[in-house]
Amino acid sequence: MAGDPSTGEAVSSRLAWLDRVDSSLLSLCLASVVVVLLAGFVQIRYGDFAMTWGEAWAAVSDPNVLFSVQAWKGFLLGGELPELSNQSLIVWNMRIPRVIVAVFVGMNLAVSGAIFQAVTRNELASPFILGVSSGAGLAILLTLVALPGVTIAIPLFVAEFQVSTSMLLPVFAAVGGVVAFVIVYAIAWKNGTSPVRLVLAGVIVSTVFGSLQRAMFFFADDLGVVQSAIAWITGSLTGTDWEQVRMVLPWSVIALALAVLAARQLNVLLLGERTASSLGMRVERVRFALSGVAVLAAAASIAVAGIVGFVGLIVPHMVRNIVGSDYRKLIVGCLFVGPALLVAADVGARLALPVQIPVGIVTGLVGGPYFLYLMRRQETMGEI
Amino acid sequence: MSDERPSLADGGSQAVPPSSSSQRAGDSVAEDDESERSTDANEFVGEDIVVGYPGSEEPVIDDATIRLPPGEVTALVGPNGSGKSTLLAGLADQIAIDAGTVLLDGEDVHTLETKELARKLGLLSQENVAPNSLSVAELVSHGRYPHRGVFDSLSDADREAIEGAIELAGVDHLRDREIGSLSGGQRQLVWIAMVLAQDTDVLLLDEPTTFLDMHHQLAVMEIIERLRDEGDVTVGLVLHDIEQAARYADHVVALTDGEIQARGDPETVLTEELLRDVFAVEATVEATERGLQITPLAPHNG
Repeated sequence: MAGDPSTGEAVSSRLAWLDRVDSSLLSLCLASVVVVLLAGFVQIRYGDFAMTWGEAWAAVSDPNVLFSVQAWKGFLLGGELPELSNQSLIVWNMRIPRVIVAVFVGMNLAVSGAIFQAVTRNELASPFILGVSSGAGLAILLTLVALPGVTIAIPLFVAEFQVSTSMLLPVFAAVGGVVAFVIVYAIAWKNGTSPVRLVLAGVIVSTVFGSLQRAMFFFADDLGVVQSAIAWITGSLTGTDWEQVRMVLPWSVIALALAVLAARQLNVLLLGERTASSLGMRVERVRFALSGVAVLAAAASIAVAGIVGFVGLIVPHMVRNIVGSDYRKLIVGCLFVGPALLVAADVGARLALPVQIPVGIVTGLVGGPYFLYLMRRQETMGEI
Repeated sequence: MSDERPSLADGGSQAVPPSSSSQRAGDSVAEDDESERSTDANEFVGEDIVVGYPGSEEPVIDDATIRLPPGEVTALVGPNGSGKSTLLAGLADQIAIDAGTVLLDGEDVHTLETKELARKLGLLSQENVAPNSLSVAELVSHGRYPHRGVFDSLSDADREAIEGAIELAGVDHLRDREIGSLSGGQRQLVWIAMVLAQDTDVLLLDEPTTFLDMHHQLAVMEIIERLRDEGDVTVGLVLHDIEQAARYADHVVALTDGEIQARGDPETVLTEELLRDVFAVEATVEATERGLQITPLAPHNG
């Protein structure tokens, strides 16, 4: 072999390499935390209810909330809140949960996108590539148009459980996404699947469901329904509170923990099906399980925020550019950069204009130019 | 191997007598007894293998029986489209075979769990892809996949196997490089290191030297030679270069149209007749002190 470096050089270059990679992941995570904290604080300070920086800080650090078991029980399990000042109530009951939901949605979408990019071996894959968004969108439209304002009473043993459309919508949206994913898998299956078959089946299902979804708009007789549907389909954090936190938290914890644990499987899957299979991986089983984890994360985020586009596409991409394609680092990076992007974008969505706009519009406006920049800078795109 | 005469097909008839499996098993035992290299390596046998692709009537491999003697190197040669890669993939249980059995140390590979099989049998395909930013050491460490549980980190045994593989493949100086920065030849050596790290009893390599420059071809074959000298691994490889097969393999199996035409020592298999009948090449074959020298002269027509 030509060009053998001396041992000393080899050792130092090895150390330098380790240093570079780990420090780049570390600084990426730190920078993301700073962005989340700054953007989150801006989100907490500004709004219809005017506050000074000092008042906002006092409310955030209000000991009556921070150290109150009752308050945290109320936040995380639902229930009575203790007596609070107006500032504390607005900050803790309206503005902080919105930031927390944004954090989880950002994590879920980024990790979900990262997994789908490995499963399809295509870095242009998004959480919605296997039809999840079209299924969720159709379910949203069906719910809003077919069941407007219906209250369904489900008799339970103890008491009657009242369910309204607004409570059902997130569940239906998530279920619709999962159903679409299952249909995509069934279409793609023919003695096993392949990334290309899966993506094509995703396109087919998205096309059909997308048409049905747009057709449903013509059955909506009320502008409010249409606006609500559009907010869901574009992805919006308007009106989120602790109920959404409670809804997204358990699923996110499960999906994200599984994603971190599955990092090595993702790395082996990146070597291609043939290599993975000859290394003893049951490729079909692993691919389905990983897709399931990714769909779970995407569905959890859809249930609380609707279909927020671009986050799942660009965040893994940004992280990969900085830490490389090792999924053990990539997933961790996504857990930090996803929230940073979404919390920052939500500041724009809530405060930039006199009216609140869906956060999905802002992520799209940020994501498009970023991709343009990547396309100009990089020679090859598409293959991981 | 004195009982194995190269049997040349005449007029496309079945060259290999369809022996009953019991008879074949008897043969192998006898051969093992007289084998000079007594090793703990495993024998790898495919019996009456039929492999087809869905949608095509004709099977790609039609009733082929192949035996890789333990601890030795067997080369598969044959023209393009003769089914060498398909046979290899069928033997490695990477594509489903339509008929036949594959026995690894007497055990049917189809009954083995996938990871268990991957601990015993390694296959390196012809074209391999890896993310460009992956480091060489990382890629080699993926060879330990079948030895690790889902949540296991690298054990000392894993690290030892990775170091051994990196050393044997001669890629130590590349270990921190990114795959994307390597030449095709270097990449191939790294992939071989990965499959060596798998630490299997049987190693199947599909055209490991094709498209490589001379330096890297020799580097690859040197690895094969070391495996042959150590004798712990049963090696089967597809080669396009017949001279390489003659020089490095203990046994040569020649394939055309999915059928085995000849098998045996390089000297007995690689004859001028075989080159004409199997490869459609007029060539001269001379025995020299460096093994067979094969000089292709002209394509043989008709």
